[in-house]
Amino acid sequence: MTQVHVVGVGMTRFGRHPDSDAADLGAAALMEAIADADIDPRLIEAAYCGHVFQGMVTGQRVLAQVGLAGLPLANVENACSSGATAIREASFSIRAGEYDVVAAIGTEHLTSQFRGALTPDPSDPEAAVGATMPGVYAMRARRYMEEFGMTREQLALIPVKNKANAARNPLAHFRKEISVADVLESRPIADPLRLHDCSPVTDGSAVVILMSDRAAARHANGRSVRLAASALRTGSVDTEPTSMTFEPLTRDTARDAYEKAGIGPEDVDFCEVHDCFSIAEVLRVEGLGLFPQGEYPIAVERGEASIGGRLPVNPSGGLIGKGHPLGGTGVAQVVELVRQLRGESGERQIEGARVGLAHCRGGKAVGIEGAACTVQILIR
Amino acid sequence: MSATAAPAKSFRPVELEVREDGTGNLLGSRCRSCGAHFFPVRQACSGCLSQDLETVRFSTEGTLYTFSVVRQSTPDFEVPYILGYVDLPEGVRIMGQIGGCEPDDLALGMTMTLSLEPFGEDVEGNELIGYRFRPGGAGEGRP
Repeated sequence: MTQVHVVGVGMTRFGRHPDSDAADLGAAALMEAIADADIDPRLIEAAYCGHVFQGMVTGQRVLAQVGLAGLPLANVENACSSGATAIREASFSIRAGEYDVVAAIGTEHLTSQFRGALTPDPSDPEAAVGATMPGVYAMRARRYMEEFGMTREQLALIPVKNKANAARNPLAHFRKEISVADVLESRPIADPLRLHDCSPVTDGSAVVILMSDRAAARHANGRSVRLAASALRTGSVDTEPTSMTFEPLTRDTARDAYEKAGIGPEDVDFCEVHDCFSIAEVLRVEGLGLFPQGEYPIAVERGEASIGGRLPVNPSGGLIGKGHPLGGTGVAQVVELVRQLRGESGERQIEGARVGLAHCRGGKAVGIEGAACTVQILIR
Repeated sequence: MSATAAPAKSFRPVELEVREDGTGNLLGSRCRSCGAHFFPVRQACSGCLSQDLETVRFSTEGTLYTFSVVRQSTPDFEVPYILGYVDLPEGVRIMGQIGGCEPDDLALGMTMTLSLEPFGEDVEGNELIGYRFRPGGAGEGRP
C-alpha cells in the first residue's frame, strides 16, 4: 500500500475576517497550498472539506472560487475534529489506490455564527440544563486541581506559554504575550477558568495537499513530509462513571496512531494538541502518554513544554493563542507540523524536529466521553 | 416551594418524569442482561450489546463529582448558575444545575438531592418543570 505524503500546505491568518466567508478563506488557503506544492492545480483529483457551522456544500463553494469545481468532494463534519477527519478521509482515498493527489480543506467563519461560549447541540439533554464547553472543562479543571494538587497559577502558565508562542506566529489570532497575572485577572468565564484560559472565536482556513508515493516521486518538490498515521476514534458510552481527569479516548486513539506509525510516545519531538481550554492541554498530553498523569503542570513550570524544552507543546500558539476556527483547526495543526519539520517556522522553530504529532478532540454528547478524537503523526 | 394546581409538565419528558403529585425522577435504561444503567434512555446496552433494556427511575440522591459557576452562556440561560455532575448509586453521572446554595457551600463528594423546579417554558408560554440538585440528603424530589 502506498504511503501518504504532505506536499503542499496553505493557511490564512487566523482571527476576525469580517469581509470574508468560509469559502473565501478556504479558497485563499487552497491557492496557497497549490503554490506551496508548486504543482499544476489540475493534478488534484479529489477533495475533502471539514467544517462545522458553515452550511451545505461549503467545500464545493471553495472549489468554485478557484476553478476546481467538478472534482469529487465530500464535506466532513466531526465537531472540532472535522478538519483532521477530512485529512484522514483524503489519506484513505489515496491509500485505497483511488487517487494520487487529494486536497484536504478545513475552514470556518465562526465569528458570523457564534459569540461567546460554544454549547453542545441544542437537542442534547446536557445542553438543555445549561452545559457550555467552558463549563464542562471548568468542571474537569476543578476535579484535576482537587485530585493532583494543581494550583490556579500553574494552570495559568499554559495560556502564558501558548500566547508567547503565538506572538511568534504571524498567522496567529493573538500576537501579544501575557503574564500569569493577566490570566488571573481576566474575566471569569466558568470558575475556575477565565477568559485567557479559553480559545477564542476565530475565522480561518487551512489546506494540505496529499500525494501517493508515485505522484510524490514525480511531482513533489523535495519538501514533503510523510503522514505516517491518521487515527480516529469515537468516545464510548461507559457502563459506569469514569474519571474526567484522564482521557481513555485520547489514549486509545494515540495507541492506534503510534502502532500505525511504528513509533512510541518517547519518539515524539513536539506536538500540537487540542487546547480548547488551558486544562484541556493537560488532559491531552497526559492521555497521549507524553507526560505522566498528574505531572504536566509541573513540567510546564520547568519549561519542558516550551520551545527549546524537552517536548514543545503547541509551538504554533495552539487553539488558545493561534485561534480555533473549528473546521480549520485540525488542518492548521498539520500545517504547523509540516512547517516545523521543514524548518520553516522562523523564530518559533524547534531545532532538529523529526517526528510531530497532532491531536484533536471535539464534540460533546450526553454519556459519551468525547465525540470525535484524531491523532496524526508526521515524520520527516 | 409548594406544588401548583396546574398539572406540571416535564421540560424533557424522555429524561425527567414528573408525576401528578409533584414528585418525579430522572429516567434511564437498565440492561436486564448485565445490570448496567444508562442515562439517558438507550436502545441497546453498551456493555453487553443486549437490546433487552427497561426504562427505570433513578435514585434521587447522589454525590457531587465536580462543579463550576458558569458566568457566560447562551441567551436561554440567565448567568451566573452553578453547573455540576452528580454520581447516582446506579452508576450514572448526571449533569445538572445546582440550586439552593452558594458555591462556597459545595465540596466534591458531598451528598446531593434531585429537586424538581420550574425550568423554562414551552412554546405556548406554559411553565415547565425541570430539575436541579440541592446539597443534602433525604430529598423527595418535590417541586
